[in-house]
Amino acid sequence: MTKGVKICIAAVGAVFIVSLVLTVRFLTPTDKNASEGSVWVEIVQDNNVIFTLDLSKEDDRSFRIESPEGGWNEVTIKDHSIMISDADCPDHTCVKTGTLRYEYLPIVCLPHKLVIRFCDKENS
Amino acid sequence: MNTRKLAELSMLTAAALIVFIVELRFPDILPVPGVKLGLANIFTVYAVYRFKAKEVFLMVITRVTLGAVFSSNFSALLYSFSGAMMCLAGMLLVRRIIPVKYIWLCSIIGAILHNTGQILVAMLVMRSLAVLPFYPILLTAGCIAGAFTGICASLILKRHTPRSSD
Repeated sequence: MTKGVKICIAAVGAVFIVSLVLTVRFLTPTDKNASEGSVWVEIVQDNNVIFTLDLSKEDDRSFRIESPEGGWNEVTIKDHSIMISDADCPDHTCVKTGTLRYEYLPIVCLPHKLVIRFCDKENS
Repeated sequence: MNTRKLAELSMLTAAALIVFIVELRFPDILPVPGVKLGLANIFTVYAVYRFKAKEVFLMVITRVTLGAVFSSNFSALLYSFSGAMMCLAGMLLVRRIIPVKYIWLCSIIGAILHNTGQILVAMLVMRSLAVLPFYPILLTAGCIAGAFTGICASLILKRHTPRSSD
């Protein structure tokens, strides 16, 4: 085993361990609970905040967000949680993500540049 | 480039495309954009240790472009293309210091760079850091998937060690 290989193994190992730790951290569900107080969520389209919602006060409903470049995402609020229930993008990753439940992991629709994430009340 | 080499590269590209299309049918492991096994990379890693840089580039560009045609997902082309190019450039560099015995290591480095390229383009396209938290998840999955494809490539090399005269 040459020195170069050893350095590469060490670097790859370090990257793997750091990312594993961060993955576990990010995949911990949020402790924000709609029954205990306000849960603020913002919907961002092309880097502009278009909606800021308090999930604890929202009734069950669905609405469609049109993309200026064509295409749409159907956002559904149910039992004080938010999800994208349907979209006309080819990959449907945003729909498969399901409800928003991780503090740091937003629902992202890359083709329509749409992001749904938790936010602080002060930002709204 | 002689006919023999052209045929060989075309066959590898075709095989990679078939694997790519089969993999499209697999259910998503994680609902994170970009997390996949990347089985088609078995052929890329193999080709990195088998052909000249220029030839591997031709092969990968063809595969990524035709892959977008067959999956009819052109919005993903930008991400797969930038990821594939970073991955390939990195693997061609590290093949100078990593002998073929450690091909799995080269594959993992390729996977890490692939994810880095994807995230960079995603941040540029979205013009926001919203996708950055996905990066460690992509990296973790990428390291595992990269090790897997690398081991597959070394199995191919074990059964078919190319002659040096090729």
